[in-house]
Amino acid sequence: MIEFVLLAFGLFIMLFGALGLVRFPDVYTRLHATSKCDTGGAMSILLALAVSVNAPLLIRLKFVLLAFLIALINPMLSHAIARGAYKRGIKPKVVVDMYGGGNP
Amino acid sequence: MGRVHFYLKERIEDVKRRVLYESYEAMKLPPWERVAITWVVLFTFWLLVAGWGDAVHLLIAAAVTLLIAVIMRDMLTEDIRGRGHLLVKSLHIFLFVVPQYLFIMAFRLIESNLRVVRNVILLDITPGIVKIEADLYSDTGLTILANSITLTPGTLTLDVEKKLGKAYLYVHWINVETLDGERAGRIIKGDLEEWLKKIFW
Amino acid sequence: MAEENFLVTLRYAVWFLVFTAAVVSYRVVFGPTLADRVVALNTATTKVVVMVAVLSVVLDAYYLLDVAIVLLMVNAVGGLIIAKYLEVGR
Repeated sequence: MIEFVLLAFGLFIMLFGALGLVRFPDVYTRLHATSKCDTGGAMSILLALAVSVNAPLLIRLKFVLLAFLIALINPMLSHAIARGAYKRGIKPKVVVDMYGGGNP
Repeated sequence: MGRVHFYLKERIEDVKRRVLYESYEAMKLPPWERVAITWVVLFTFWLLVAGWGDAVHLLIAAAVTLLIAVIMRDMLTEDIRGRGHLLVKSLHIFLFVVPQYLFIMAFRLIESNLRVVRNVILLDITPGIVKIEADLYSDTGLTILANSITLTPGTLTLDVEKKLGKAYLYVHWINVETLDGERAGRIIKGDLEEWLKKIFW
Repeated sequence: MAEENFLVTLRYAVWFLVFTAAVVSYRVVFGPTLADRVVALNTATTKVVVMVAVLSVVLDAYYLLDVAIVLLMVNAVGGLIIAKYLEVGR
C-alpha cells in the first residue's frame, strides 16, 4: 500500500514541476521549480520501486543508489546553471539584488 | 578604519588565512584513517554497481580500490575533522548524525515540494537575491550546505564567496521576508549548519 | 517483478512521465534564452532516467538500471560543461 502512495505523490510532484517550468516568469524561478520538484518526485518514485520489487537485495540497493545520485547531482547542476546564467548577463526579475550591484 | 595600502591589505589577508588553516590543520585525520574511509566508500560503490561474484572477483575489487584509495586519499576526506578512535567516530557518524540529517532533510523536501505546488497554482512570488554568512569554511562542508539550502523550501544557492576567513552565500529567495543578513541567515539555514559543524570545519 | 496490481499502475505511470516530458519540451522549443533550454533539457533527462528505471521493473530486465546510472552521470558532466560555456563563451 505504501508504494501506491509514494508513486502517486511522485507523479503529482513531477507534473507540477513541469507546469512550473512553463508558468514561472524567469530562469531562476524556473530553476526553483525544476530542482526541488524533480529531486523529490524522482526520489519518491525510485523508493516506491525499491520497496515493491521482488528481486535480490542488490537490485533494491541499486534503486536506492540511483535516488542518492539524483539527490547529489540535481542541486549541483541547478546552481551551476544559475551562476552561469547570471554571469552571462540574464537579468533576474527581483525586488532586491545583492549579487551584482553591490550594497543596495 | 583608515586607508590601508593595497599590498598591506593583501598581506593581512594572507596571514589571517594561514593562521586559520594551521589552527584547523592540527585536528586533521591521520593518513591511514583517510585511506580506510576512502577505501570503504569505494569498495561499497564497486559492490553496489558490479555485484558480488566469486572470491577472485572480490580480491581484484579490493586490490584496485585500495590502490585508488592510497592515491586519492585527500580528495574525499580532507575536510573531515574529529578526535577519538576511528571506530567510535565512524559508528557515531553513521548511526546518529547521518540518520538524523536524512530525517530532517526528508521532511524539508516534502514541505518544499508542496510549497512549489502552491506557488505554481497561485503565482504569489516576490523574488530577491540576498547575501548571508556561513560559519563553515571548508570546500566539502560548503558544498553540502549549499545543496541542502537548494533543497529546503523557497531558496536556491547562486554563488559562494570566500574572503578573510569567512564564507558568504548568495541565495535566490522566492519570498523575501527580510533584508537583514543575520535574520535571513537564521531563517534560511535553520538548524542544518549545527549538524554539519559536527563533522566538517 | 512486483505484484500484478502494481505492474498495471506502472504501465500508466510511464505514459504519464512521457506526458510530463512533452510539457517540458515546450520550454526546449520556445525558450526565450539559452539557459531556459538547458534547464528544460536537464529536467527532461531526469524524467527519462526515472522512465528507464520504471521500465526495468515493467519489462523484468534489471540490466537497464546500469543504463540509467550511466545516463545520469553523462547528464551531470554535460550539464556542467554547458554551464561553463554559459559563463565564459559567447
